Amino acid sequence: MKARTKRILRRSAIGVAALAAAAALAFTVAFIHYDREVARQFEGRRWTLPAKVYAAPLELYVGLPFSPDDLLAELERLRYRETPELSRPGSYRRRRGRFEIAVRAARFADEERAAQIIAVTIERGAITGLRAADGAAIPVFRLDPLLIGSIFPIHGEDRIVLTPDEVPPLLPAAIKAVEDRKFATHHGVDLEAIARAMWVNLRAGRVEQGGSTLTQQLVKSYFLDGRRTLARKLEEAMMALALEARYDKRDLMTAYINEIYLGQQGDRAIHGFGLASQFWFAKPLDELDLPELALLVAIVRGPPYYDPRRYPDRARKRRDLVLRLLAQQKIVDTGAAAAAMRAPLGIAARPSGGYFPAYLDFVRRTLRRDYKEADLTEAGLSVFTSFDPRAQLAAEQAVEGELARLDRTHPPPAGKAGLEGAAIVTLPQSGEVIAMVGGRNVNFDGLNRALASPRAIGSLVKPFVYLAAIESGRWNATSVLDDTPIEVPLARNKVWRPQNYSRNANGPVSMVRALSESLNLATVHLGLDAGLPKVAAMFTRFGLETAPAPLPSLLLGAVDLPPIDVAQLYNGLANGGFHVPLRAVRAVVNEHGERIGAYPVKIAPVAAPDAVYQVDRMLTYVIARGTGRAAAARLPRGLIVAGKTGSSSDLRDGWFAGFSGSHLAVVWIGYDDNRPTGVTGSSGSLIVWQKIMSALDTTSWQPPMPESLEDMAIDYASGLRVTTGCSQDEVIVAVPRGTPTPYMAGCAPPSGIADWLRGIIR
Amino acid sequence: MCRRAAPLLPAMLALALAACVTPPYQPTPAPGAPAPVPTEPGAAPPQSPGAPATTPSMPTPAPAPRSYRLSAATSALVTQARSATAQGDFVAAAATLERALRIEPDNPLVWIEMGRTRLASGDALQAQNMGRRALALAAGAPREQSAAWQLIADALRALGRNVEAQEAARRAEALAVP
Repeated sequence: MKARTKRILRRSAIGVAALAAAAALAFTVAFIHYDREVARQFEGRRWTLPAKVYAAPLELYVGLPFSPDDLLAELERLRYRETPELSRPGSYRRRRGRFEIAVRAARFADEERAAQIIAVTIERGAITGLRAADGAAIPVFRLDPLLIGSIFPIHGEDRIVLTPDEVPPLLPAAIKAVEDRKFATHHGVDLEAIARAMWVNLRAGRVEQGGSTLTQQLVKSYFLDGRRTLARKLEEAMMALALEARYDKRDLMTAYINEIYLGQQGDRAIHGFGLASQFWFAKPLDELDLPELALLVAIVRGPPYYDPRRYPDRARKRRDLVLRLLAQQKIVDTGAAAAAMRAPLGIAARPSGGYFPAYLDFVRRTLRRDYKEADLTEAGLSVFTSFDPRAQLAAEQAVEGELARLDRTHPPPAGKAGLEGAAIVTLPQSGEVIAMVGGRNVNFDGLNRALASPRAIGSLVKPFVYLAAIESGRWNATSVLDDTPIEVPLARNKVWRPQNYSRNANGPVSMVRALSESLNLATVHLGLDAGLPKVAAMFTRFGLETAPAPLPSLLLGAVDLPPIDVAQLYNGLANGGFHVPLRAVRAVVNEHGERIGAYPVKIAPVAAPDAVYQVDRMLTYVIARGTGRAAAARLPRGLIVAGKTGSSSDLRDGWFAGFSGSHLAVVWIGYDDNRPTGVTGSSGSLIVWQKIMSALDTTSWQPPMPESLEDMAIDYASGLRVTTGCSQDEVIVAVPRGTPTPYMAGCAPPSGIADWLRGIIR
Repeated sequence: MCRRAAPLLPAMLALALAACVTPPYQPTPAPGAPAPVPTEPGAAPPQSPGAPATTPSMPTPAPAPRSYRLSAATSALVTQARSATAQGDFVAAAATLERALRIEPDNPLVWIEMGRTRLASGDALQAQNMGRRALALAAGAPREQSAAWQLIADALRALGRNVEAQEAARRAEALAVP
């Protein structure tokens, strides 16, 4: 009996020992496996860093027209806060027109700038003083470039990676207090926490509490998918142990801060506290105050559930819980926690780092020509663009507002989608695109109509017909055109009978009137006479890749172009006959701050400057008295602008393209399914265009007149020359010097002078 | 060209004459941009309505020649760009000059400076085109036109187009303000 027992015991002991040995061996083998795995992945893999896209920084200089409100708006956009003592970068103080700004450190394409204090004085609508802290005058100073987005993979992670010294010390303390109290002492797994969580969850009958350590959360986010099986849990625990054995707590905390998931925006997953701070508060992490930091820590538990934009009450409750925990554990004092609980959530209305999907789409398309997708989504590039947040907001508001109004006046039939719109704003001289709207839902990253919806351009083609004519030297602004019915024979015995919009024919009309009032018949006569191939060639001369077929219908714009191509064509008109490729990207810098890509301005003369000037001058009369006159009264007083309406057949598309001295804007409105809108270019699109132009700080179109030209006063209707005050209907056009133009009856200077004029004009 | 002469009072004649030669689109400086400064301070603006022209002794009063200068901001940027060019960093120089261009897009001097930088970096074609842009912007400003032609001449020479270069240089010289 005894011997038997002993034998059994011995055998059991051997068995247990063998089992233990086997378990230890299995554990060791597993540990070695996971250790290798962890080392390989943790060290071999850097975070993939999506390229960060920045807006154009605001350039401050003495003489810039600027109001204190403009500066306040800019500081608000950059989330600077007003403080009496200028305690840290990202703050300012103000005494009437005098601002002192503690500017953050910033990196630009061409230089890295340290944080510093500057003083800006604004008097009577302009900057009058710009000084450094030591009082030295600064000739020109850039504010921080606003982060406007990232180029992340589809369904991808977006993040900003921080180094440990960029993290405020309160954050790791708060994370530990809320998520893993024993982080400093455990070895990756906290058995007590697991037991407690199991007990709580058993009693509740559902999962209420997690027992995962920070290390386990990190492992789950880093290496594993979201499945919750026992095998996964064991694997997770093994990897956590391996991670802890290999790395110190500080590295693990940094990894956690950069890794953890903290928000979602469509396909874009917000990872890491650095980006989350920008996403929720639109400012850097080290500028967050206690309630803001506590809110981020609160969100960790479930970003969709505690989304403070969608569920502010829920988020607030959990934030306050976090604050209580911090006070209980003496990480902050009770008074501070109580004050923080009274603070509002402080969420930015619109996430920084998004969301301008149409513009970002344009940036992405540019970059994809020159960079591999992986470089863009992983290599931590910084992309500097010409994006102007003020112009963008103006364009968005104008498109959204006008389309909402049109939906009321022209309600779409039941079950049909409403009107859509697109807009592009450029700086004509440099070809920089500063704003882009791709649809009425400006935050929706879907079809970008500005780039990808070719639509019939209608009368927008006309300035190029007139340019071809004027370039030939056979016509000028005073030429009389034939606005009479015309039959154009086409192939297969068909006949084209174009009509004016009014259905009337006006007989002989001046060229300036024909263009201003967009007369179809006069334009078809002119274009056929000047030559269809010459008109078609304008498209490639002004920068498009392909020329349309030289068919008669081209003269009335039966050619489909996306708004970006229209902007490219009109940019050449706005730029005096010089082609500049439209661009969004100025420079690309790698993660070490080295410039790796530059997109400098390129310019080419494509049309005679004097011919373009004559056309542009006529286009000012489109606004002053032609199809664009509805805008004239609403534009800033005295602002001279030029532009053209365009409506395709049956009003399927409403366009307006036009420019001032410093901006070009193109607007399109129509239905996606191309059905008629009932809205002409001179109502919907013109109004959007006028609102954009009025919101920009823009200048009049008034380039110096080419020396080969002179001004001539003519009668608008007949094109006959007049003396000032003689005709009720006088316009001043530019014509080649010495253009022989007969005076209107009763409107000539006295004969002696006339003879003399004839003599000098030759 | 004059169909019928109508009798007019001399005063109206003055107005009429003034109207014939008055360019209504005289460029005025954009707010913040430097004003084109007349080189002759005493030169009257052409549209001064008080100037009676009872006799046709001054048939086409040429507009006062304009001239340009750089604002303090652009001037500082040009200086910075030149030092980048001197160090051979043409990309930085071009980027800095584009900052100046955004502040003063219509100033031919900025385009000439950009063209000079392109020429130094070996891009004579762009240099020539920028010279032509400057030339168009410098209508009525002989000093800047001369500088633009000089840039075009240098660019054409770099392109090996010597005959055209000579012609451009000749124009530059003809326009040069002593």
